[in-house]
Amino acid sequence: MNEEGVRVERVPPQGETAGAGRQWLVAASHGSRGTAFSVRDSFKRRPLLWLAVSIAALALAGWLILRTGGPAVDGTWLRMQERGSWRVGMDPSFPPFETLDAEGAPVGYDVDLAREIAAEWGLEAEIVAIGYDSLLDALLVDRVDAVISAFPYNARMTKDVHYSPPYFEAGVRLVVGAGAAYEEVGDLEGGTVAVEWGSRGDAIARRLQREGAGFTRLPFESTEKAIEALLSGASNALLIDGVTLRLAQGEGKRIRAVGAVLDEDPYVIAVSIEAPKLQSALLQALAALEEEGRMELLEERWFGQVSGQEE
Amino acid sequence: MIGRFSSFLRRKSDAFNRIPPLAPPSPRAGKLIGVLLLCAVFGLSYRSYFRNWVPLGPQRTVATINPKMGVHTRLTDEPDAAKIKQSLEMVREMGAPWIVEYFPWAYYEPRRGHYEWSHPDLVIDHANRQGLTVIARLGYVPEWARPEDSHHLYLEEDNYEAFGRYAVEFVNRYRDKVAYLIIWNEPNLSLEWGFRPVDPASYVKMLKVVYPMVKAAAPEVQVLAGALAPTLDPPGSEWSMNDLDYLQRMYDAGAAPYFDILAIHAYGLGFDADEPAGESVINFRRSELLREIMVRNGDGHKTAMITEGGWNDHPRWTRAVRPAERILNSVRAYEIAIAEWPWLENVCLWVFRFPWDQKSYQDYFTFVGTDFEPKAIYLEMQAYAEGRFEAP
Repeated sequence: MNEEGVRVERVPPQGETAGAGRQWLVAASHGSRGTAFSVRDSFKRRPLLWLAVSIAALALAGWLILRTGGPAVDGTWLRMQERGSWRVGMDPSFPPFETLDAEGAPVGYDVDLAREIAAEWGLEAEIVAIGYDSLLDALLVDRVDAVISAFPYNARMTKDVHYSPPYFEAGVRLVVGAGAAYEEVGDLEGGTVAVEWGSRGDAIARRLQREGAGFTRLPFESTEKAIEALLSGASNALLIDGVTLRLAQGEGKRIRAVGAVLDEDPYVIAVSIEAPKLQSALLQALAALEEEGRMELLEERWFGQVSGQEE
Repeated sequence: MIGRFSSFLRRKSDAFNRIPPLAPPSPRAGKLIGVLLLCAVFGLSYRSYFRNWVPLGPQRTVATINPKMGVHTRLTDEPDAAKIKQSLEMVREMGAPWIVEYFPWAYYEPRRGHYEWSHPDLVIDHANRQGLTVIARLGYVPEWARPEDSHHLYLEEDNYEAFGRYAVEFVNRYRDKVAYLIIWNEPNLSLEWGFRPVDPASYVKMLKVVYPMVKAAAPEVQVLAGALAPTLDPPGSEWSMNDLDYLQRMYDAGAAPYFDILAIHAYGLGFDADEPAGESVINFRRSELLREIMVRNGDGHKTAMITEGGWNDHPRWTRAVRPAERILNSVRAYEIAIAEWPWLENVCLWVFRFPWDQKSYQDYFTFVGTDFEPKAIYLEMQAYAEGRFEAP
C-alpha cells in the first residue's frame, strides 16, 4: 500500500511488455528451459571466450592438483642427503641427556639417540651446541635440521614446528617403595608424601590436598632427602619428576612410579614443519628403535638399570 | 567487440527491467522492521561492550606484615578481563600491595594521536579495586614513530617529544589511579636500545624531554628512571654497559633533576640474598652499590624501588637455584627491604604469571602457572605476608 492506503495497479517499467512479468516467472521456475540458451550456439558465437574459459579452468585444475596432491619437496631432507649428516641442535648442559666430556665432546642420552636415528638413514649425526633458549630459533632459520635436547612439547609452536612422539616423560609421578602396595593417590589416605620444598611436586601435593586427598605433605630441602625419607620409611610416598625418578632408580634405589603422570612434561624431537619427509622418516626410525628394544638399552646406558619393579 | 559488449549490456538491462520491483512495505511492517533493526543494533553494541567485561567487585585492601612486598605482573598480553581480574586478586591474596605493569606505547597509540585505552583501563581499574598500587612502565615504540623496519625499541631523539606526549596522555587519563611512571626499560642493554650502542647521555635527553611534560600535566606523579639491567660486560662491549658505570654517566649528563625515584633491577642469580655486594658480582645486594652512586651524586634524599628482581628455580638454567633456595631468598629480599633499606620503597619480584607458558627458564620465575595454579613459592610468600612463614 502507498501512503494514502490506496492499492494501485503496477505500471510496467519503460520497455517492458505486457506479459514480461509472467515471462520472468516462467524462466525462474523452469530454469534454463524458459530461455533459448544453447552451449553449442554460444560456442559458435563466441569461440574466443570459450577458449579463454577452458584455459583458465585447466590452469586452475593444474594448480589445485599441484597444491594438494603433488609430491611436497623437503629441502631439509635433501640438504641432509647432500651433506651426509643430520644436523642436530642441543644445549649440552643437562646430564645425562647431554653434556660435554673431558675432551669437550658432546655425550649423553640425546647424543646417542641422535646417532642411532641418523644411522637408520645411513647418515652421521652432527651435534651443534646452542643455548637452550635459542634452539627453536636455530631450527626455524635452518641452522639445524632438528632439536634433541630434553626438549619439552610446546603446543603454541605447532604451527611452526613439528614434534615427534615423546621419547621420555619427565612429568611428576607418585613414587613408592618397590614393595609397597600403594597404587594411586587414593591409597595414601592417612599416610605421608615427601616432596622437595618449593618444587613442582610440592605444588601438586598441595593441590591434591586442596582437592581432598587425605595425606600429610612432608617437605624436604632437597630431592635427595625426600627420597631418603621414602627409603627409610619416614614417608609412604614421594612426588618427584621423571628424570629424578629414573636417576634414582639407576643408582639402585628400589622405588617405582604408580598411577598416571600428574603433570605431563614429555621430551620430544623438534623438526621443521616444512620437512614432511624428515617427519615421516623420524617417526619410522623411532618406531624401529622402540620395536628392537634399542630405546630401552639407550635409557639403561645413561640412567642405569632399574633395580626395583617398574610400574 | 565494443558493439557486441554494448549489445550484451543492453540485453542484461532489459532482463533486469523485467524483474518486478518489490512492493513498498506497509507502515506496520515498516515499524516492525525498524524495531528489529534497533534491537539488533542494541544487542550487538551490548555484546561488544560487555563480552570482555567482568564486574570490578568491592573495594579491597591488601593485608600484609610487609608493605614493601611487590611483584611485576605481566598482563600486557593478557586480553581476557576475567584473567586480568583473577591475576590481580591473587596478587592481593599473596599479600603484595605493589605491582609493576608494562603499558607499551605501540599498543595504546597505534596511530599518531589515536589512543586505545580499553586494555589499560581494565588492568588499572581492577588493580585499584584490589587495593594495589600500580607502577606503570612505559616504552615500546609504535611503527609511526620510528624508521621503517627498525626495531620496536628504536627511538630517535627527534621523537622523544612524541613519547612524552604519550606519557602525558597516560597521566592525564590515570592521574588519580597511577602515581608512578618508569621511563623506558634497561637502556644500558643494546637490545633494549633498539640494537644501537647504548648511550646514557641520549637516555638523559629523553628524561629531559619527558619529565617536564609529565610534571606539567600531573606534578604529583613520580617519575622513575634507570631500571638498568645488572651486567658485568667490559667497557666497549657492543651488548651492554655496566649498570654502575651507566648510572654514573647518567648523573654526569645531568640526570638528577629529571627523575624522582631510581628504578633498580636486582636479580640474585645463584647467590643468596645476603651475599655481599661487589662491583664484579651480580647479586641482590648490588642495589646497595647503585644507592651509593645516588648518594655520591647528591641524590641521597631520593628513594629507590626494585621494579624487577628475584631468583629462578629452573632445573637446568645455569643461573638458577633450587626451589627451596628461591623461597628463602625471596622472603629474605622482602625482609632486607623493610629492615635494612629505608631508602627503598618496595621490592617487585619478576614475574607473577605469564599469559602462556614460555617453555624456557622464564617459566621458573613465576609465582602462579598460566592456569592460575599457585606454585609453592606463591603459597610461601602468602604465608610470609600473613606472618606464619616457617621453613621446614
